[in-house]
Amino acid sequence: MKRALLLALLLPLAARAQLALYQMNGSTEVPIGAALNLGKVAAGDTVSVRIRVRNTGASTANIVGYSASGAGFSLDRPSLPFPIAPGSAQDALLNFRATTPATYSANLQVSTAASSVSTIAIATVVIGPELTVFPVCTGSDGPPASIDFGRVQTGQLRLCNFYLRNPSAQEMTIATFQVTGPGFQFSTGPKAPFKLAAGDTTAFVINFMSNTAGIFSGTLAIETRTYALTSTVFDAPLPKPLLEFDAGPVQSAQQRSLIMRLPTAASSSASGFVNLAFLPDSTLIPDDPAIVFLATGTRTLPFAITQGSTAIAINNQASATFQTGTSAGRIRFTVSGITTDGDPTTLLTVPAAAISLDTATATRRTGNLDIALIGFDNTYSAGGMTFTFLDGSGQTLPPGAIRADFTADFRTFFTKTQAGSTFQVRISFPVTGDTSGIGSVDVQLTNSAGSKQQHLVFQ
Amino acid sequence: MKITLLMICAACAWAQSRIEVPTLGAVVDSSGGLRPVQGVAGNFLLGPATVPGVLSAACSDQLCLAKTNSKILSPTGETDAPPGPALFSVQARDALVFFPETRMFARWHDDVLDPLDWPVESEVLSVHGGGADADIAVRRDANVWIVHPDGSVVDWIANTAGPVLLLGEGVLFATTDQVILRRSDASEVRFDLPGAESIAAMGPHYAAIRAGGATYALRTESGRESLLLLPMSLEAGGIP
Repeated sequence: MKRALLLALLLPLAARAQLALYQMNGSTEVPIGAALNLGKVAAGDTVSVRIRVRNTGASTANIVGYSASGAGFSLDRPSLPFPIAPGSAQDALLNFRATTPATYSANLQVSTAASSVSTIAIATVVIGPELTVFPVCTGSDGPPASIDFGRVQTGQLRLCNFYLRNPSAQEMTIATFQVTGPGFQFSTGPKAPFKLAAGDTTAFVINFMSNTAGIFSGTLAIETRTYALTSTVFDAPLPKPLLEFDAGPVQSAQQRSLIMRLPTAASSSASGFVNLAFLPDSTLIPDDPAIVFLATGTRTLPFAITQGSTAIAINNQASATFQTGTSAGRIRFTVSGITTDGDPTTLLTVPAAAISLDTATATRRTGNLDIALIGFDNTYSAGGMTFTFLDGSGQTLPPGAIRADFTADFRTFFTKTQAGSTFQVRISFPVTGDTSGIGSVDVQLTNSAGSKQQHLVFQ
Repeated sequence: MKITLLMICAACAWAQSRIEVPTLGAVVDSSGGLRPVQGVAGNFLLGPATVPGVLSAACSDQLCLAKTNSKILSPTGETDAPPGPALFSVQARDALVFFPETRMFARWHDDVLDPLDWPVESEVLSVHGGGADADIAVRRDANVWIVHPDGSVVDWIANTAGPVLLLGEGVLFATTDQVILRRSDASEVRFDLPGAESIAAMGPHYAAIRAGGATYALRTESGRESLLLLPMSLEAGGIP
């Protein structure tokens, strides 16, 4: 009986010890004793502290009461009731705001059906200095109070001008007046501690600069108030790259060099891609697959720009070689992956031209005269041909010019192959009789851009 | 004078014409795929790999041969062959072949391989021809010599230890900074190209030269010599 009574007396103590209150400092739990002092709070400011209730007992704590009773205090917490499992915790936000200078207090209490834990929260409202920020920077009273330095180009200085005013009727001592954070620093202004007479104002300037792009943050602490400082730093747009080509008129079936450079030195290093695309003149083809950068056989190459340099390395080389293909049209060079001060897109026009022959031969076979032609027609309009056979002395053999029209054949071939306009054609002329008297042939190939004449001697 | 009778109607010619994409030869890419090279000078297109596992290849105007590890492949069939790569000299529809791993010469024709008992010493760099007067480029004492199958010396190429490609009309070889096309009449055409690592017969009028991570096509036709780049294919891992 005596033993049972002892256990019963101990129960409330055990229950009371089941809950523990902490103030969170980051992720660190700081036990709250009999009082929780929120310190000085500027009139009109809101201060918030995170409160943690931890269940240190072995059974679930069912929270039925959780309040902060006192003028200016409020609590952001889950709806009641809510359980806290053994060993677990529940966070809440204790807020305070008042406009009249005074000392304020509240009873912060957490309770279960069997027990409760409480503390006294205290805050002192004072008249704080008023801060005015001038454009281009912008400010917000928050919470949290913040000052945005805006978007700043790498390497450039951003100055923010401020006025600090004592709005009270008494002299004010500013003991805390400091800036923290990479790139942020006082440029001009008073050094703490300093005094501000009633209604007096002092000006100061904070500057910010960074040589690297990114989002930067810092703080400006003035007495009771801390302002978050922010700035977004971006790389300066590069001057418009110049896309240049090796000298000489552009024609089909060329291998040309592309050189990229900047008109002025780059303010920062950068990398991107140079791309080419082809816009054919002919409606017979959608593209010319031979128009590629030769280093990779593709239409995109990476490039790199080094800070302080005007040179641009394409695929780690000083230049990039590409083919102009065998189609009339425009090769369009574009740049991607970087921001430039202007559109560097460059068009290279491949003009329409008469049929070009790479190889042409004339041979005799028994019963046939063969003419083999290898070349290209960048207009995709080939077909008209004229053959004039000549004797050994260069005299035209009857019947003179023989005209043929292979337009449909070429059109079918080009449409089917989609391999540019290169072609290899063998034209056989059946003959009877002695062919030894046939010495040569004049071949005329016609397309929409003109005629190509070729004199071939029979082998 | 006997008059030549021409069937001179356009329709006849039309009926006997044939249009194709011109093929210049073939190269082996770094993944061992044999890839046709199409187009004209300055406008090359690499076709898709037609044969995998190719170690060496060469083409004439009529025939392309490819060597896999154990076979010689032709358009008409395949022939068992010694292991490893091969040096080819393809002439029309026949070929002289040298197998470096077994140091064996052979004559290929109609998918048949006939061994040749040629006692050539030193490292063989290139072969050309087919009979007893075939030319064989060998490396001796850091120089290149051209010998016949019986070992008799035909010529000596100064200032190079290779690579070398023997051609019908001369020899193509690389120095430290240049590729030189030397004709039989001793005339030369030089191209600035440092670091040439290999030279192979790409086709009847082109040699494929590997240098500095790129592959070049050198046109060897007299009067039309030019050094051009072949498009590299990332998908195929480039051309060795």
